[in-house]
Amino acid sequence: MKRRRPFIALAVVLALVAAGLTATAISAKPAKRNANSIEVLSLWGGSEKDAFLKVTAAFTKATGINVQYTSARDFIPDIRTRLAAGNPPEIGILPRPGYIGTLAKQGALKPLSGLGLTNAYMKSNYSAGWLSLGSSGGKLYGVPAKANSKSVIWYKPQSFKKYHFKIPATWTQLLAITKKYKAKGLVPWSVGAGPSQSQWTLTDWFENIYARTAGPAKYQALFTGKLPFTDPSVAKAARTMTQIINNKYVLNGVQGVLGQSFVGGITDVFGTKPKAQLYFEGGFVGGIALQQVNTSLKPGKTIASFPWPTVTPSRGRPIVGAADFAAAFKDTPEVRQFLKYISTKAAGTIWVSTGAVNSPNKRVSGKAYPNVLARAEAHQLATAKTFLFDGSDLLPGAFGDTWGFALQDVIQHPSNINSILSDFQKKIKGQF
Amino acid sequence: MSTQPLPAPAAPAPDAKGHQVLLRSRVEGLKGILFVLPALVVLAIFLIYPAYYTIRLAFYEGDFHFGFFHYLGIENFKQLLTNDKDFLDLSKFPPGGALINNLRWLIVYISLSLLIGLGLAVLAVRVRYERFVKTAIFVPMAIAAVAVGIIWLLVYSPDADVGVLNALLRGGGLHTQSWLGNPSLVNYALIFAYIWASVGFVMVVLSAAIKGLPADVLEAARVDGANEWQIFRRIMFPLLSLPISVVTIWLFINVIKVFDIIYVMTGGGPGTSSRVIAFTMYEETFHNGRPGYGAAVAVIMLVLIAPVMVLNVRRFRSERVVA
Repeated sequence: MKRRRPFIALAVVLALVAAGLTATAISAKPAKRNANSIEVLSLWGGSEKDAFLKVTAAFTKATGINVQYTSARDFIPDIRTRLAAGNPPEIGILPRPGYIGTLAKQGALKPLSGLGLTNAYMKSNYSAGWLSLGSSGGKLYGVPAKANSKSVIWYKPQSFKKYHFKIPATWTQLLAITKKYKAKGLVPWSVGAGPSQSQWTLTDWFENIYARTAGPAKYQALFTGKLPFTDPSVAKAARTMTQIINNKYVLNGVQGVLGQSFVGGITDVFGTKPKAQLYFEGGFVGGIALQQVNTSLKPGKTIASFPWPTVTPSRGRPIVGAADFAAAFKDTPEVRQFLKYISTKAAGTIWVSTGAVNSPNKRVSGKAYPNVLARAEAHQLATAKTFLFDGSDLLPGAFGDTWGFALQDVIQHPSNINSILSDFQKKIKGQF
Repeated sequence: MSTQPLPAPAAPAPDAKGHQVLLRSRVEGLKGILFVLPALVVLAIFLIYPAYYTIRLAFYEGDFHFGFFHYLGIENFKQLLTNDKDFLDLSKFPPGGALINNLRWLIVYISLSLLIGLGLAVLAVRVRYERFVKTAIFVPMAIAAVAVGIIWLLVYSPDADVGVLNALLRGGGLHTQSWLGNPSLVNYALIFAYIWASVGFVMVVLSAAIKGLPADVLEAARVDGANEWQIFRRIMFPLLSLPISVVTIWLFINVIKVFDIIYVMTGGGPGTSSRVIAFTMYEETFHNGRPGYGAAVAVIMLVLIAPVMVLNVRRFRSERVVA
């Protein structure tokens, strides 16, 4: 009997190992979710997330399909790891057409035409411009879910009234107001472009200036890889940017900019203890300021926005804007229903009524916007002569972030602009 | 563990008894293997295979499934060490890049953690409220690194109404600082936050070691007229050298793998000025989608840690931890 023991032990160990391996193999397979539930991943948190949850709540009520929302501010690594593990979310709502293109080329996304959203249907809801942004290689992948103008500057109407400032129409006038605020002992600007993921606000500064100095054609060429970042027009726009973002005019100087977050910057201007007068970022600032930063703000009195002034007057005022596109990683009946739903007028109407977003859907009525701030933005988007998509979001892969890092360098070392740009060009060359 | 059975008795005695001895020793050997086998299997699956995979991947470009795509040879390493300013930049003074930042961490973090931890350990033993002091200093150790990052993000806030550090500066009539926005301060600001989180551990280990010191030796020294500094310098410190080296190695490994606090507090910024090796690995692999390049960074990390681990294991073998 004694002799048998080792073999029993061996058998036990082998069984354990086998069980362990099976367990690993099972856990490596994507976790199966309830048939009646989908996961939607996006980068929104706070008031932007709340607005979206209102839309999904209506969807669940109408269809009985639960929506599990996953928030990933730093969404690129999140999606990359989940794809590598074979376990992507059903749907991702992504702000970067450039990254949607990257994903589509990898074969990670399902074309909309195969999901029951025909091109004709999409065309009846969205303009051709939006649809081309959601496309890659001639196929449509993204449903334009929400849009925002990024060509607005936020100010305090009461303060403008007090000092008899007029809404600036040109960069020179904007600089003049900046100087006057400074002369009155006030800090003109706050810029939040610091830890840990706020460098994108600088890319928006640059884009507005670039569109207004170099013009739409060069803008498109630059952000689609047809014009190098070493082109003199790029350095010129970057230098113009530092006329405002410097130690003189921004709260706590350039290093304060790099130490402040995007929402922190809004708080500096519109919080209960304001320290600065002007803030630049997209239309979504209104929703965040009113709902997250300071609920006692009065739209039109203590907070309002004006359109970005011209910089080179002959170039006019092209609108720089951004949008988020819903794309499918999987093809299930629930996914089809969800994509169909968010492309409807009903979903768009609920969404815009939160005041957080604009709808790219042409069937959503202007009356659905809840306040003067949201209506002004919708009007600006609807009447834009030239609409340019956020350039950093058009860059491939994660280069939108790398470009933001380069601009963080630019505002610290304006005298090194040329070498910073040529370093960036070296990195991005051949990536389009 | 050797698979050879114990050598048979020199004199061949093929009687029944000899057979039994041989069999028993074989069984013993087999048992030994069986007992370590589960651990070996786990190690092989979760450590050896991934390490092999990573090292192999470092010689490829890699695709988004982490497959061995496009063989590059040592190109990744060449690029990292000679042509990637975010990783190693020797062109300016002081030099920069993730590798140099890690060196900064190594020097400042280890020496300050040890100094403060040892000082607290020596002093805490002498006061009546020892337990309270120790608990207070040890608590940060129990906080998750992400929470540590958030806490210090608030401490360092450039807004003096939020950040306690800037409130102090303003209260003292000094200029407020952007601790995390200034490339020449950011690394030290991060290091300090991390020291806060790990000094408790250093203190607890060393103070336990101090309590284990032979009382008669210390007493003899006092009787012989040594002052407290001499006792510390000539007796306690040499006797504590082993626990100190163990703690140092723990701190060293902490430094090489530091990631979470940087991810939470600066994301490697402003620009790329607070990146370290582990952060670069994450950034290149998962953010920039260059798995091969990221694997090369991981290999460099392994090469840096391995000698210290070997040293550590050798020391453990040759000495006992408590003297």
